[in-house]
Amino acid sequence: MNKPEILLICASPRRNGTSAMLLERIHAVTGGEVVFLPQNGNLNELVLNMQQASTIVLSGPCYINTYPARMIELLEKASSTGGFSGQKLYGIINGGMPYTHTHRHGLTCLQLFAEQNHLSWRGGFVLGGGAVLNGKPLERHMSRKKIVPAFDQFIRHIQEGTHSPDSLYEKAQSSPPKIITRMIAKILSAKVEKNLRRYDHDPKAPNWYVREQE
Amino acid sequence: MIVIISDNSKGKWGAELAEAISRRETKVVHVEADKLNIKPCTACSSCSGKTYGRCVIPDDMQQVLPKIAGCRSLVLVSPVVFGGVSHHIKKVMDRMSTLGDPRYHISGGEMVKGMSGKGMDYYMVGIGDTLSERERSTFLFLHEENRHIMNVKGRAFILDNKMNKVAIDEIAREIAHE
Repeated sequence: MNKPEILLICASPRRNGTSAMLLERIHAVTGGEVVFLPQNGNLNELVLNMQQASTIVLSGPCYINTYPARMIELLEKASSTGGFSGQKLYGIINGGMPYTHTHRHGLTCLQLFAEQNHLSWRGGFVLGGGAVLNGKPLERHMSRKKIVPAFDQFIRHIQEGTHSPDSLYEKAQSSPPKIITRMIAKILSAKVEKNLRRYDHDPKAPNWYVREQE
Repeated sequence: MIVIISDNSKGKWGAELAEAISRRETKVVHVEADKLNIKPCTACSSCSGKTYGRCVIPDDMQQVLPKIAGCRSLVLVSPVVFGGVSHHIKKVMDRMSTLGDPRYHISGGEMVKGMSGKGMDYYMVGIGDTLSERERSTFLFLHEENRHIMNVKGRAFILDNKMNKVAIDEIAREIAHE
């Protein structure tokens, strides 16, 4: 059966965030079909689409160091349905922290899923400092000089079906030096506290659920 | 208080562990995540802004969050799924953002978030049979990354499907006494 399609799945509940933006960037080059992972309900149809594609690209945000629950549910469902043979799988995970180690568990998850279900893992891309983009183009990323060519190289791998190594994204971003790290932490925390005070919250107060019980 | 949140869809591991810990510690709460109505996090950011510390999604997590917020130790029990936790457990973890500190702190030269208040000790128990070394280390890696960003202490354990009684007891002893 002819399987020429590239299926691009966005696992974020946001339609206009960074996960979607990265998929659209790929789609502009590779074509194929972009779908959004439904946040509730049956996943049978999506699993069927995955089986019918020749290449699958999964793009999602990083929640608590790996993909969101719904993405894991999709992988579980696909795994118990079975019926895959050699579909090429690529993954993208993007998170707020500017460190790739914070988010990369998601890609290892996908690789293990591929290996246990007869898909062909072709590599992934971890984007740190991505959440702040919130849908704006990659050209606005703080490490744009290296990140843009690196991600575009990743897109070429998808187009050609070739393996994309971890070194591609690792070399394109680096942890900020300690002084900058401290500065960023201070600036971001100040922003957070200003926002909380806007709603009359005390950032140092015990959590709402703890106060409610007292 | 020790809170155990388990995915029992494939086995009664949570109950076994809860029982073993109860023998050593008086206050143990056991939550079966796979039986609850827990919706996915929608990334609305309300919990870090408008309704600071409170999640606005009305579902069973509203009964679970106060337990986690007030506990001394949190234990997540899950089958090992592709080197991580199952979706039932991940849904709980995703919604725990509401208990996180939205500010940025420094630990080991990196920005981390931390938990609001003192935070709790954080344990993960992964169940699996014939797991590859890579899948085991991937599960442990997830827990390590969680601890780092949440700025909490704790350990991850991996258990065989057959749930060796001695192993459960050893885990219970470690969790109850820390």
